[in-house]
Amino acid sequence: MKVRTVVLLFLLSVCFCAVANAVESPMAQLKPTLKSLTDLLADEGLKGDAHRDERRSRIMKAIKVGFDFEEMSKRILGRTWQEISPEERERFTRQMIKLLENIYVGKLESYSGQQIEFQEERVKGKRAQVSTTIDNQGVKIPVHYVLNLTDSRWMVYDINIEGVSLVSNYREQFKSILRTDKFAGLMKVIEEKNRSFEKGKGSL
Amino acid sequence: MMKIRTLYVIPGVLCLWFFVLGLSPIDPIAAVAANATPDLLADDDYNNNDGQDAEGVADPLEPWNRAVFVFNDKLYVWVLNPVKNVYSKALPRDVRGCIDNFVNNLASPIVLVNALLQGRFDDAWTVVERFGINTVLGVYGFGDPAASEFAMAPPSADFGQTLGRYRMGAGIYLYWPLFGPSNVRDTVGRVADYAVNPVNYVGLNSDEALGYSGTAFVNRMSVVPDAYADTKKYSLDPYVAIRQAYSDYRNARIRGGGTEGNQ
Repeated sequence: MKVRTVVLLFLLSVCFCAVANAVESPMAQLKPTLKSLTDLLADEGLKGDAHRDERRSRIMKAIKVGFDFEEMSKRILGRTWQEISPEERERFTRQMIKLLENIYVGKLESYSGQQIEFQEERVKGKRAQVSTTIDNQGVKIPVHYVLNLTDSRWMVYDINIEGVSLVSNYREQFKSILRTDKFAGLMKVIEEKNRSFEKGKGSL
Repeated sequence: MMKIRTLYVIPGVLCLWFFVLGLSPIDPIAAVAANATPDLLADDDYNNNDGQDAEGVADPLEPWNRAVFVFNDKLYVWVLNPVKNVYSKALPRDVRGCIDNFVNNLASPIVLVNALLQGRFDDAWTVVERFGINTVLGVYGFGDPAASEFAMAPPSADFGQTLGRYRMGAGIYLYWPLFGPSNVRDTVGRVADYAVNPVNYVGLNSDEALGYSGTAFVNRMSVVPDAYADTKKYSLDPYVAIRQAYSDYRNARIRGGGTEGNQ
């Protein structure tokens, strides 16, 4: 009896250890995501206008592995999220995710093989920060990723470049638009921006 | 009798000075190493504020600032950008880089003074070393062997940052023609730095001085990546995007030192 109990306890404790160590560090999960992105962007076979759509869809698939666009959308909308109906929330999330896709793909298109260095990571409960630098013509620009732990997966919900946070930047823009044009006006602006990306230029 | 009165006046004026400027006559914010990473997990406004949003930038002059923003945009599109493009075609990138080095080298005293005021003595010494190396080995500052051969990245410091480190608040947002985004504190800083710029004391007449400043300005534009067109493309409200980015960027500079390269 006693031996069985001890063995059982031993097995249980081994199980617990395995579970406790099952979640990798945020940097360990982010590295392969960024690597797959840089590989895609460096892929000669995907370059040029001919492969634009295929490149875009593959980039999006790679991004969604490590970036939580829904969380980003909610945080960018801020307090107004509580004040809108479920249909409006659904519509907003759909358009906002499309906008973020357009932004990320657009900005990644200008990536040309710059060196990314991982500096350090910091974990605080279910949130984490991974600090990197990107080498742009000799100048090292600090880029920090802020992540949330959801179901043992670390997902990025904000990017901070040299102190400028993407989420808070768009949130301030939204606040300004909401003040004058309310939610309906905001949706119009987002939808129009997405249309302008579709036309292939983006408004200038 | 007179002597004693004067003795009381001086500290009185100093106190008033500090009070008006919102400075605290105590140590500046401890000089953080230039490469220390910021703590972005410090407070989670989103989850802890019952959905209350963080405060934006104080901008009571927004209608006026927006008008200047529109003016500046036209100026950029019709004058500055074309001039910059012509300039970039006329001079190869290496030459423009050298001119940028020359201008930055001459501005070393500004960085030196501000680094000292902020208690960043290591950075101040780096500025002195860089000036020596670049002026001599870099042929009057056109080269930058200090960075390329000796791995001395240029520190950056300006008076707006110094004031910020002495806990002066930013004040309201100001958008200037030509110079773009700023605030009360940084505008005071720019004016102060202008006064310390050695180029103003060399005895150039007003045409030469304008020529120098103008060339330095356009040259700088031609050397740094163009973020403005991108900002317009990816923002829903570029005015607010720039306002917020400027504020966040300056706050990050005040919290941690900063190297020139990160400008």
